[in-house]
Parts: sequence; C-alpha cells; structure tokens
Amino acid sequence: MLAIEARELSKSFQTRGRKRRVRTVEAVHDVSFSVDEGERLAYIGPNGAGKSTSIKMLTGILHPTAGDANVLGFVPWKQRMALARHIGTLFGQRSQLWAELPARDGFQLLAAIYRIEPAEARRRIDELSDVLDADDLFDTPVRNLSLGQRMRCELAASMLHRPKVLFLDEPTIGLDLVAKQRFRSMIVRLNETQGTTIFLTSHDVSDIEQVARRVIVINHGIVIFDDKVSRLRRSLLATKLIEVRFDSPPAALMLDGVQVVKESGTGYKLVVDTERRSIREVLDELLDHHRVADISVADPPLEDVIAKIYKERL
Amino acid sequence: MSWSVYLVAFTSSVRRTLQTRGQLAVRVLFYGVILGVLSALWKVATSVNGGHVAGYDFRSMLWYLVASEASVISINPRLIEYIGLDIGSGVIAVEMLRPISVVGLRLATALGEALVRFACAIALGIAFAWFTVGPPPDLSAVALALPAAVLAIAANLAAQHSFAAIAFWVNDSKAAWFLYQKLVFLVGGMLLPLELFPSVLAHVSRVLPFWTMSYVPARLLSGHFEPWLLLPQVAWLLVLMAGAAAVFGLGQRRLEVVGG
Repeated sequence: MLAIEARELSKSFQTRGRKRRVRTVEAVHDVSFSVDEGERLAYIGPNGAGKSTSIKMLTGILHPTAGDANVLGFVPWKQRMALARHIGTLFGQRSQLWAELPARDGFQLLAAIYRIEPAEARRRIDELSDVLDADDLFDTPVRNLSLGQRMRCELAASMLHRPKVLFLDEPTIGLDLVAKQRFRSMIVRLNETQGTTIFLTSHDVSDIEQVARRVIVINHGIVIFDDKVSRLRRSLLATKLIEVRFDSPPAALMLDGVQVVKESGTGYKLVVDTERRSIREVLDELLDHHRVADISVADPPLEDVIAKIYKERL
Repeated sequence: MSWSVYLVAFTSSVRRTLQTRGQLAVRVLFYGVILGVLSALWKVATSVNGGHVAGYDFRSMLWYLVASEASVISINPRLIEYIGLDIGSGVIAVEMLRPISVVGLRLATALGEALVRFACAIALGIAFAWFTVGPPPDLSAVALALPAAVLAIAANLAAQHSFAAIAFWVNDSKAAWFLYQKLVFLVGGMLLPLELFPSVLAHVSRVLPFWTMSYVPARLLSGHFEPWLLLPQVAWLLVLMAGAAAVFGLGQRRLEVVGG
C-alpha cells in the first residue's frame, strides 16, 4: 500500500529581482513518485534542488502551484491538521522541544496535542527511552543536552504519536561521527520495529547508505534518478576501484582502460573504466603478469557518484 | 477542539517561566525602578495641584501605576518582533506541522509566561504601594482589578499576535512593534490615566482597544468600583482573538517558505 504519492507536483515562487522586476522561480517541476508503506527513502539533491519545498508540500505547509499529492490518504495542503496526526517530522536545524524544560515535560505537552492519554503517553515515553537509550536524558533540561543527546530527544518527540510516515530533513547535521551512526541505527530500528515509513533528505552520503534502501535524486526541481541505493553506483558510474598490493614494486603498470590514482611502494589504487574493459579482464591481466600479494575490488564511493550526478545535470 | 491542550500548554509555560528566575528577577527589578521613579513624579505633580490631578490623589495614582505598569511590563516587550522573526525564519512553518491551532498554542504559552511575570511584579507593586501610601482605596474594586488585569494581558497578547502577523506579508514586523508599543504606552493609559487626556484624545482612546490593556485594571485598582469596565475588555478580547486567528489563518495560507 502506498504511503506517499506525488503526481506532477510543481511549485513556483515569485521573487523580485533587480529594478523590482518580478521573477518566477520554479522550485519543483512536475515531480512524480510514490513511496510504499514501510519503505526507507532518501530524497536527495544539491542545495536549492527543491527537496525542502517538496517536503513542505507533502506535509501540507506549502500549496503546490500544480499537480497532486496524497499522503496516507490525505491531500496534505487541504487536510494539514488531519494529516499532522499521522506524520512525524524532524528538522535537523529546528527544535520542537522547549529549551528550559526537560524533554519529558515537552513530551507531555505533545501528548496533549496529539490527544494521547497520560498513562499511554508515559508508557510510550518509557518505550522510546528504551529504544533510544535515553532514560537519563529525558529528565535533563533540553538546553543542557549535547546536540547528539538533543537529537535523540527530538526523535522521541517525533515518534511519540507513532506516526506512520517520518519526514527527516537533514537529521544528522552537526552531529559527530558516533552520534550520527547511533542516530542512523535508531531510525532503521524504528522502521523495522514499528513499520514507520522513512522519508529522508540529507547531504550526508552515509545517511543515505546506512538508512535508505531507495533513493530519489532531484535537481532543479526535477527527478533525475529513482532506484535502489545499490543501483545508484552501478548504473551511474561505470567505474570500479581496485586496490592491489604486489610482492615487489612493478616496473611499470600500464593497463588499457585503467587509471592509476594512487601509488605507494608496492600498493596501488586503480580506477577501471568498465565501459572500456571488463573488471575480469583487468584482474586476469594483473594476476597473470604480476606477483599479487593482495587484491580487492570495490564500487566507487557513493559520494563520487552523487557528485557526478549533480555536476552532469547542472 | 479540546481546551485541555491549551491548559497543558499554559501550565507548561508557567513551569518554564518559573525556571528562568534570573530573567524574572531582572524584569521585576525594572518594574520596581519604574514604579519608584513614577511615584516620585506623581507625588510632586499631585502636591503642586492641591493634592489631586484629574480626580486622582497620590494614593490612588500610585495604585493606578501599580496595575497599569504591571499589566504591560509582564508581556515580552519585543513579542511582536519575535513572532515576526519566527514567521520569517520558518519556525511557524514547523509549528504548522502539529494538529493544533498555531496561534492558539502561542497565545496559551504567552499567557502562561505573562501571568507568572505579572504575579511577581504585582506582588512587589502591592508591597511598595502599601508601604508608601497604605492599602488600596477600595478593596471591593481590587477584586475586580485582578480579573481585569488577566483580561488586559490576554487582550494585549491577542493584539500583538494580530499585529505581528503582518510579517506574513512584509517579512518585517519591527515597524509594527514600534507603533504598537507606543500606542499601548500613550493611548492605553499606561503612563497617564485617560481622564488627563484632552477630550478628543480621550474619546479616540476609548474607541481603540488599547485602553482595555492597561487603563481598565489600573482604574479599578485606584479605587473606582466600576464593574462595567470589564464588558469592553471581554468584548475586545473576543474581537482581538478572532482577529489574531483570522490573520494567522490567512498568513499561514500565504506562507511561502523556500528551502531549509
């Protein structure tokens, strides 16, 4: 069953430029996609691509200029209040908690807003505290928490009413590496245990790799890629990385369709253009003509893939 | 619509404001200084006018100032500007993602903050006036002055939200804040009772909503048992709340937040 469906969704804004001339900026143009219930989707693109505008239309904050959307059976901009009961949002740069109060007090207010009975709210807070490993955090005033701790509380606030869809906009921005990893695993755990549909926007490639199964790339308001994360690398970047270590330094490493990108003693890092030569041919040649001590083949970093997509579509 | 949500927001805001003891202390201290300065001025003014100015003697004038200043000083003086910033920066957009009226929740929260400040300020004001001139001139009017002060604060907050909503259209509410503040100070009766105004200005002041935000509780606390003054307060409160809800509703529909 579909959780989100966007059909030819467009949004344009009018801005005043030099000499007060009115200019129309098309933030989102004819975007169509659907997201199944329980899916984990990354919705990515460079700055100004139209990601946040899309989220704002899907959550009902913005009215589209054209097109249609359906989130959990609601037309977001027409039924914003009703939809709000079933979705959760987490914006990395905006807090929904109150700085002076412990998160637990903020949760009580949110529970009242979402009409959750106090006993049930307490039970859910305890449950979230277990999942997020945040028991001692909930009783500390939010302003005294580190960013990572605060984001765990923000996530709990977003999940308190058990939303069916969770919109995450740059949720790991500003977190350190450990906090990011912890946060990502919590999102995945919530998706797996509660079946929450995840709609994630992020500039952090690791967020996409570790959280999402599917990725939609948007640029200049247009969807330019929509497939599994694993296919993003293979279909869009016809290269493979080979890391090889020889028993002794080779005299010269000249292989057709292969570029040496790093060399240090007996170790080499090679990029294979798989459109010119298959990876098997290159491996055979290396193993036949050189004394190889160790070798590994890998996809190029997702970061490179995404950067390439952005550049090509600029 | 469940009112319990707003009650929870109100009590939560009360608790939160009580946590900010330093800010509370500074605000109450400022109120005490203002009260001290104005009482000294009015002592001179009444004494050179045969003990009365426009029907107010020093005792009633001091009690007037206790209520008029406390009703206004309890509200964040830059509330309009802050609401405008929240509209411009997209904070309001995040609040729109909750299944509740944005302006209703903000009013309940602001009322909780203001009433805590009012309670602290008025306690100091009562102590100061009692010590300086003795008890209020009419104790029965005091019983009316307290609910009138709550209505005054609520009306002021509703009006500030209406004014601040201009930021949905012009992206800057500083001008609205400046204008609004001066109107409350002058035609609201915060500095001078309306009886001291020239007749035309006094008439204009009573047509506008601002006199219900300061003058009414002050007039009652100064010993004038005039219960009918609460009627225009309630009426203006309802009008201003409806106005705030309407302009926020229109503004939210107009909201166009681009990006992050």
